[in-house]
Amino acid sequence: MTTETAVPETRTPLRPAAPRGRARSRRQRAVMLLFIAPALVVYVLMVIAPSLQSVQLSLTNWDGINPAYDYVGLRNYQDILTSDRFWNATTNTLILGLGSAAIINVIALAVALMLDRLHRAQGFFRTIVYLPALVSGFIAATIWKYMLNFNFGAVNTVLRDLGFEGAAMDWLGDNDIVVGVLLFIICFTLGGNTTLIYLANLQSVPQELVEAAKIDGASGRQVFRYVTWPMLAGAVTVNMTLAMIAGWTIFDQVMVLTAGGPGFISETMAFFIYKVGFGEYRAGYGSAAAIVLFAVVMATTVLANRYMRSREVQG
Amino acid sequence: MRNARARSTAGAAMPRGLSRRSLVKGAGGLSLATALPLAACGTSGGTTGGKTAIRFLYATGDDTWNAVAKAVADAFNAQSATATVELDPLPAGSDYATAMKTMDATGNWPALVDMRDTSTYLDAGKLAPIPEAVTSLLNEEVYAPSEDGEVYIVPTTALNGELGFNIVYDRDYFEEHGLAAPTTYAEFVALLDAVKSNGDGALATAAGEVWPSDQLWKPLAAPWFARYSDAGGFWTAVAAGEASMEDLREPLERLKTITDEYVIEGWQSTQDAQTSTLLINGQAVMATSSAGIGRLNDIAKVDPDFNAGLFAVPADDGKIHVLKNSVNGDTASGFAISAQAQQDGKQYDAAVEFLEFYFAVDTCDLMEETGMIAPNIKDADQVTRNESIPGAADYFALLENPNLAWFQNDTAMSAISTFNTFFRQSRIEMQDGQTTIDECIAKCQEEFENLAAEG
Repeated sequence: MTTETAVPETRTPLRPAAPRGRARSRRQRAVMLLFIAPALVVYVLMVIAPSLQSVQLSLTNWDGINPAYDYVGLRNYQDILTSDRFWNATTNTLILGLGSAAIINVIALAVALMLDRLHRAQGFFRTIVYLPALVSGFIAATIWKYMLNFNFGAVNTVLRDLGFEGAAMDWLGDNDIVVGVLLFIICFTLGGNTTLIYLANLQSVPQELVEAAKIDGASGRQVFRYVTWPMLAGAVTVNMTLAMIAGWTIFDQVMVLTAGGPGFISETMAFFIYKVGFGEYRAGYGSAAAIVLFAVVMATTVLANRYMRSREVQG
Repeated sequence: MRNARARSTAGAAMPRGLSRRSLVKGAGGLSLATALPLAACGTSGGTTGGKTAIRFLYATGDDTWNAVAKAVADAFNAQSATATVELDPLPAGSDYATAMKTMDATGNWPALVDMRDTSTYLDAGKLAPIPEAVTSLLNEEVYAPSEDGEVYIVPTTALNGELGFNIVYDRDYFEEHGLAAPTTYAEFVALLDAVKSNGDGALATAAGEVWPSDQLWKPLAAPWFARYSDAGGFWTAVAAGEASMEDLREPLERLKTITDEYVIEGWQSTQDAQTSTLLINGQAVMATSSAGIGRLNDIAKVDPDFNAGLFAVPADDGKIHVLKNSVNGDTASGFAISAQAQQDGKQYDAAVEFLEFYFAVDTCDLMEETGMIAPNIKDADQVTRNESIPGAADYFALLENPNLAWFQNDTAMSAISTFNTFFRQSRIEMQDGQTTIDECIAKCQEEFENLAAEG
């Protein structure tokens, strides 16, 4: 408001300039639109159009190869929603999505707090923490696959050499633990970015507030609970959302490490869609599953975000 | 106020000499530059040094087949004045159907394809007819015209059906412990018992890639499938309501028993190629295989001193039931030429030239030297067979075995590939103890009926 009053009286009157201003604004919008057009064209062709086509294909029995197909109404959706395999994939997705989001955030926050307190070699340790995030999920999963091989893997070899024969397990083939193993590997790979976001936010917490709290006699734990933690609310929302979305769409690790097995036990929704759509020549059915996945991701992300936003306001 | 500031900032930031018109032109040019490469996507093929370059896509099942593909392509490229073959192997462990589907989606078909799930691609019009110039080189029994009178698939190797689905074993161990290859199913179980009672790993098998789980299942189920050979095959009978998954209960029970009692730990995540290593390392005395002589050759390459043997799992009555793949239909496999190559013309001619070379006697000799049994060409009697691979004599003896009984199991059901994938995973689930045999039968029957209803 103060800037409004500061406008000099010599300024060109607004009314006569308005048509010229509107025309200029339109031209600028046109220029801006042309600048974003290349990216927009690619995005529409590669993301929006196929996504919309998925809705149409989800109502067909298309095999993904033959150009001829029939419309089958909502039968694909009916089959999916009554399929044990689909619900198993949904459960795994929820476990891996929510589980990895929670675990990654707890560990990343703890690591970020430790890094924040480091006065020496912080850059070195920051790099060490971030390194796993630089490796692609596919490559990381391949390395883990070799390490966890039951017969020849480094993990079981070390365990056997140390005399812990009973602890050597079929890490990727035992149906009781395989989802847990996937969860561990996913957390290991995705933690780096989350840690850095927390660290950046920790370093932007105003030191005056921290010092004021300390002067008032607050303990370290109280400073964290009542000063630092509320200031991190935005970062928690961002990190949880990003981690959940990464979790919902987990694919590379499952593809490389277990191919959804043994049997169907470690299939996730993204892998299920890929498997039925590509590997089983059921593109229509796979498209329907993709629409359901979209709905689940949207619903859970919106709900989780709403909760976290409300927490931010309270904070 | 915010707009006013934004305008002035924009004006200030604009470099001199860069007018709005030039900006508009620049942005338009960017849009066009983006659109053009997109429009150019999807081209394939080409020429190399004046020769027509074609791609040959094949599944890398075993090292022997990889070596044969490379040796034949190199020999062809060295002698052809008009064409060059570039190998395009599917990575080991990749799912064939997925890789094919992805390739199809990009519109980037190679000229030559190591084809499976043939009906699916034939029905979709993705394959081109193979001319008589090629088929005239082959024994008439190994190819057949499709409904339209054209031949779309010719074999890459000897058409010995699923004789390659057998057990490879450590012959020295057998001799040391007075064991012999079984002649009945009861003897097979007794053999497994004997090895187990010695405290050794009896049988290595693999399910890490899903499809190798067939290696144990198919020989066990063959006697049951064979009963429907004359009636159009088991799956045709199931589709017609004359048989059901319940008829496979006994082989499923055998599969479960062998898995629980005799298969060494870790099979759920073991890759196919690792079973050879387990055998050579002495961690298992026997290993399942689906590559026949190819597997024996792989073992010989890793350890030339390993004394390997090979036998097929016999039925209760001693018969060895082996699926004779159809030379047509979904179970047929072999070379196919893509319709995309046919549209190009030159690519099609190059593919035909390669196939003519492939089925020549000299090339067949090269295949045999490299460790694969050459396809059934008309001049087969001129081909020099390679019997030097340890265990190869066992394979050739199987072909002469009086108990060998061929059977067929074709079906017109277009979704059989889809069902087979589901059936494999359901069996692994059952073998692993996640479901019971009853549950496995029920869910597979339901899936079959659903897919059959879809046509």
